[in-house]
Amino acid sequence: MTTRREFLAGAGLEALAAQLPVIALAQPKDSVTIAMTLEPPTLDPTSGAAQAIREVTLQNIFEGLVRMDRTGKIVPCLAESWEVAADNLTYRFKLRTNATFHDGTPFTSELVKFSFERAVAPDSTNAQRQLFAPIAAIETPDPVTVVITLKQPTANFLYGLAWGDAVIVAPASAANNKTSPVGTGPFRFVRWNRGDRLELARNDAYWGAKPALAKATFRFISDPAAQVASLRAGDVDAQTNLAAPEAVAQLKADPKLKVAFGKTEGEVILATNNAKPPFNDLRVRQAIAHVLDRKTIALGVYGFDVDLIGSHFSPLHPAYVDLTNTYPPDLAKAKALLAQAGHPNGFTCTLRLPPPAYARRAGEIIAALLAQVGINARIEPLEFPQWLERVFRGKDFDLSVIAHTEPLDIGNYARDDYYFQYRNPEFKALIAKIDVTLPEAERNALYGEAQRILARDAVNGFLFVLPKITVTAAGLEGMWTDWPLPITPLAEVVWR
Amino acid sequence: MIEAAIPEPTARRHWWTSPSFLIGAALTLTVVATALLSYVWTPHHPTQMAILNRLKPPSSANWFGTDQFGRDVFSMIMVGARNSLAVGLGAVGFGMVLGTTLGLLAAMRRDGLLDNAIMRSADFTHAFPAVLTAIMITAAAGPGMLNAVIAIGVLNLPYFARLARGSALQVWTRDFIQAARGHGLSNWQITLRHVLPNIAGIITVQATIQFALAVLAEAGLSYLGLGTQPPNPSWGRMLNEAQTFMAVQPWLAVFPGAAIAVTVLGFNLLGDGLRDALDPRVRRAR
Repeated sequence: MTTRREFLAGAGLEALAAQLPVIALAQPKDSVTIAMTLEPPTLDPTSGAAQAIREVTLQNIFEGLVRMDRTGKIVPCLAESWEVAADNLTYRFKLRTNATFHDGTPFTSELVKFSFERAVAPDSTNAQRQLFAPIAAIETPDPVTVVITLKQPTANFLYGLAWGDAVIVAPASAANNKTSPVGTGPFRFVRWNRGDRLELARNDAYWGAKPALAKATFRFISDPAAQVASLRAGDVDAQTNLAAPEAVAQLKADPKLKVAFGKTEGEVILATNNAKPPFNDLRVRQAIAHVLDRKTIALGVYGFDVDLIGSHFSPLHPAYVDLTNTYPPDLAKAKALLAQAGHPNGFTCTLRLPPPAYARRAGEIIAALLAQVGINARIEPLEFPQWLERVFRGKDFDLSVIAHTEPLDIGNYARDDYYFQYRNPEFKALIAKIDVTLPEAERNALYGEAQRILARDAVNGFLFVLPKITVTAAGLEGMWTDWPLPITPLAEVVWR
Repeated sequence: MIEAAIPEPTARRHWWTSPSFLIGAALTLTVVATALLSYVWTPHHPTQMAILNRLKPPSSANWFGTDQFGRDVFSMIMVGARNSLAVGLGAVGFGMVLGTTLGLLAAMRRDGLLDNAIMRSADFTHAFPAVLTAIMITAAAGPGMLNAVIAIGVLNLPYFARLARGSALQVWTRDFIQAARGHGLSNWQITLRHVLPNIAGIITVQATIQFALAVLAEAGLSYLGLGTQPPNPSWGRMLNEAQTFMAVQPWLAVFPGAAIAVTVLGFNLLGDGLRDALDPRVRRAR
């Protein structure tokens, strides 16, 4: 016998069940699939240099004491606050009390000491060990305080702590981080299907603001045509940096998609062997600088305007100085300079190009531009291992085209043994001074000076910064569109 | 008596009226004429860039449109013809001269150590897939037009060596060779005066067909970036570069693709036509 109450209860349940799908549809979507070009070789940012490791793990799975925000500013992360002593040698970090690792391990000061000591241990494969070189001692007076003493004042110490190489790991999980990473971040690792995808899920025990997304998937699509097809078909919700700039017009015309052009720290240069004749002659380098019409080169490579540079510095950094007019395009002047240098009819040299499309295309345009003043640059395409072996390590080249993607890497010009072999004591002294100058305004002024010296000496042909072309589904917001660090944090990504 | 036994060098029928010969000759002549014309005239400079004029569709100013650097595609196709033919000529010439010489030598020393050495080497080279071997050679020796010529030439070697040996062996069994020997001619003299002229026709036919394959192989190597180097225009590289623009500017791929197709078809048909004319076996079969 069915009583009236039972009947009503059953009807109510049925009604509820019928409504459920409707409710699910009305709620905002809380999962996302993001495509990137390269797959990380491992998932441990403290184990190798591959940028793709950082792109997926930093600020998602792993966190450091500090982090970089989307504008390039250093903000608190696992360290809630910090004080720097007057001598600029002692940093006292106050740590978060409510942070835990995904496996439940509580975050304490001991783990900071463990992580930084592990990074410089003899068996460490950390790609940026020099970040920790200035450290003299790490003390842990209590579980929420870390005191780091430096050997000498180091201006970019905190900046380095925001990098993927300085994330905090726990002793119990550190050894397995390459394949099943355990960190303190807003997302935890779920599954990695090599060659295809990496799945993350929201860390519900996160110490900070809860991410809007419950589930996030990174897919690895290296073929430019496949990237475009996946975006248009809706198979992926975003592409962190589109590898097919020629498809931009097509994607922009698609109402389901948004295209954003951003800046990166990747300075593209015509690398010049400063130790090899005739490029050791300033007048020859100046002549080349007068030939390089950056606007034309960038347009030929991308088909749209990108940010041009006149020195080795990204416009993303507050210390950037616009020096693009140091040697404006002027063929007559270039010819005159070549004649003064003893090459009135130009000369023949090699232009060794690595595989990326930006390098091959820019190289072909540059060869055509140089031919206008009689410089016959013979193009030699190289595979990346060959390029690293011959050009980068062997310094066996005249000219090359390459992007320098590390943030704030102008200091490389102070290294005598660096592949373009620029040797300038004045510049070296300036970089040494920058390293110990902590007040930001003062330091930025010195960075400006350093940019001017490099532009004046026409050390390399300074061309443009690699653009970041972020393509997202129309309703997806919060993706990084600039790359002060090439990473894709998901904590602020949300569907509208 | 000797004369009567040698197949006549010219055909009895009007072989030059066969459609495959006519079409093949017309296509080949067009390509060769285009290549020759490119030395004295192209509508635009083939490597002159005009970035602001990039990726334009075909028009009266640029008959085949412009590429990603604003270069005139028609002029590039013209100069590309020159490069394709040069590589084909060099590679087939290399393979033909060396391969035929080795084949004749092997036939002269039939079943000897030299014969075995030559033919087993030819078998060895032949055993590898042709284009893969060319890729291997250019990858090892470095990319470039000359290395492409050598790589494709090496692949042509066994074809000519085998063909020359087989055909020469047939000639060696003829009565007039015995007669020549009776006249006191040495092996070398017989090879040069009687064997070579008798196999010249069949070698020419093979060369024409190998030429088509060489053009195709060159396009393949250039497509992979191992052949003709920029800024020198090459059909294969134009195809490769056009690939990224397929969705936006498809004609960029159409023109170099058509150029390769026309050239390969032309030489193949010409080879067929010549074989009908010069190969005694085919003629007898009619």
